[in-house]
Amino acid sequence: MVMSDRIAAMIDEREGRFRVDRAIYSDPDIFESEMDLFFEGGWVFLAHESQIRNSGDYFSTRIGRQPVFLVRKKDGGIGGFINACAHRAATLVPLEHGRANLFTCRFHGWAFNHDGHCVKIKNEETGAYTDMAGKDQFGLTPIARVDSYRGFIFASLKADVPALKDWLAGTTSWIDLLADQSPQGLEVIPGSSTYTVYGNWKLQAENGVDGYHVSTVHRVFAATVAQREAKANLGGLQRTESGRMLGNVDSGSYDFGNGHLGIWAKRADPTKHPLWPQKERLEKSFPPERIEWMLNRGRNLFVFPNAFIMDNPSSQIRTLNPIAPGVCEITVRCIAPVGEPAEARAARLRKFEDFYLTTGMASSDDLAALEATHSGGFGRAARWNDFARGMGAIRHGAEDTDGAKIGLVPNTMNANWDHEALYHGFYRFWKERMIEGSRS
Amino acid sequence: MSADTALRNRVEDLLFREAALLDEKKWQAWLQLYVEDAVFWMPAWTSEYELTVDPELGLNLLYLKGRASLEDRVFRIESGDSFASVPMARTTHLVGTVMLIDGNGADIGARASWIVHSYGIHGGITRSGSYEYRFREEAGDLRIAVKKIIMIDDKLVGPVDIFHV
Repeated sequence: MVMSDRIAAMIDEREGRFRVDRAIYSDPDIFESEMDLFFEGGWVFLAHESQIRNSGDYFSTRIGRQPVFLVRKKDGGIGGFINACAHRAATLVPLEHGRANLFTCRFHGWAFNHDGHCVKIKNEETGAYTDMAGKDQFGLTPIARVDSYRGFIFASLKADVPALKDWLAGTTSWIDLLADQSPQGLEVIPGSSTYTVYGNWKLQAENGVDGYHVSTVHRVFAATVAQREAKANLGGLQRTESGRMLGNVDSGSYDFGNGHLGIWAKRADPTKHPLWPQKERLEKSFPPERIEWMLNRGRNLFVFPNAFIMDNPSSQIRTLNPIAPGVCEITVRCIAPVGEPAEARAARLRKFEDFYLTTGMASSDDLAALEATHSGGFGRAARWNDFARGMGAIRHGAEDTDGAKIGLVPNTMNANWDHEALYHGFYRFWKERMIEGSRS
Repeated sequence: MSADTALRNRVEDLLFREAALLDEKKWQAWLQLYVEDAVFWMPAWTSEYELTVDPELGLNLLYLKGRASLEDRVFRIESGDSFASVPMARTTHLVGTVMLIDGNGADIGARASWIVHSYGIHGGITRSGSYEYRFREEAGDLRIAVKKIIMIDDKLVGPVDIFHV
């Protein structure tokens, strides 16, 4: 079967169904195409500006399979380059982050400035170079597009992509809900955790916006914090919000378009949240319906194809680096409002550690569930994953009066995060682009 | 036997007993090794060379304050309801190179190295690092007041719970 037909056959929308072929998570040809099209052929999230605050600060990471680094230039702009010496490809920046005026290759001593220009070829004068080869011929290869929205830096190896804000579509309304939490902006707290998951990247994309699993996989977390709070006299921010895990709060799920997804659930008791101490200040700056979205609702946002921006028990940036069809590397960082009170910062971190780490008591269970779906998917005699849940309750665009309160007009929404119709947006976008890509 | 040797024997006995109780999953007996206001701390790496220094305002992999917080972890492990804990990995702790630090009076400390091999759904995984302990005398027993765990591995496969380190 030709590739485009194989791709088309993997998403089954016949007879009021929505099913996804389990081979989509393990097929090596599919994986290579995804890397070309989505990760190395479009916008991906790389870092938050607070990670490269000062001139010379750099941060190295990957775009798809390609090593890259970002640098804060002397003029305050952000440079982005392939992390390989222009000479013979040795990794130029060996550390994850640091500060440098010049980037000097450790192999032959060539040096490059923040603009990627080659400023030194070791022993250039005795190099017997022809006229064709001089320093101006040996700049670093820039990342085609680097742009940021509210401090979140995105990049694309392909130049021909839409403006970042157009690509982000309605997700900007949710990014704003986080970015607006401090007049001084947000900061990534030093430290991170990286884990290798034996599951396809799309399973992580699904899992981070899966409201339906919360009341099963995380009921043990809810029970654990309930017994913690029953035996100890914990107050204020030391308490843990668990309304969403007990499944008795308002919630919703979103297809923002372009493969971006989101879920939210009402906080049963927002006074337990680290943003609560700033309520009065926020009320002076924002209308009540915006405060409702910002403070009273936990939100998980997936920005296609590689990032989550979460503001739920704590606040998190989670990035996905696919390694192979069945292997994905995930890094989590805590992002927080600059200048929040120490008590709130400590509570935010403790909630992060409780929930969001593979050493914690919830994400560890998520990852085990994710890996179980990957393993189970090899039972090929059973072909389909089912996403019919919620199909009878989809609202389109302007029918969502709730999102309209923050200027959000989604592709679709369901007023229940147990509904799985949001994934239709992800897989229709995936299918459309993959078929296009297979023909080009 | 000198006083130093006697203390060293007591410290090593406690460290080795803790390792055995974790490997044998005797959680309740393990909890009894800790004082009520114990701190169980595994800082996160903030760069290739540095760890979180201030556990309150920095990111940690584990920062459990009070024996009750260790009980939370045991509650979850024993519930049978934690996806990551069924089936539960088998482990072997090797604890060695024990050095006493500040070994006098009420504030007894020790540093040790650890290797833990675990076997579970991801196959065999070996992780390693060091421990820094503070002990307190309680009713004639030496108990753990602070356990700081440094894990040199920072790209993790599978869950890492209190018994994997």
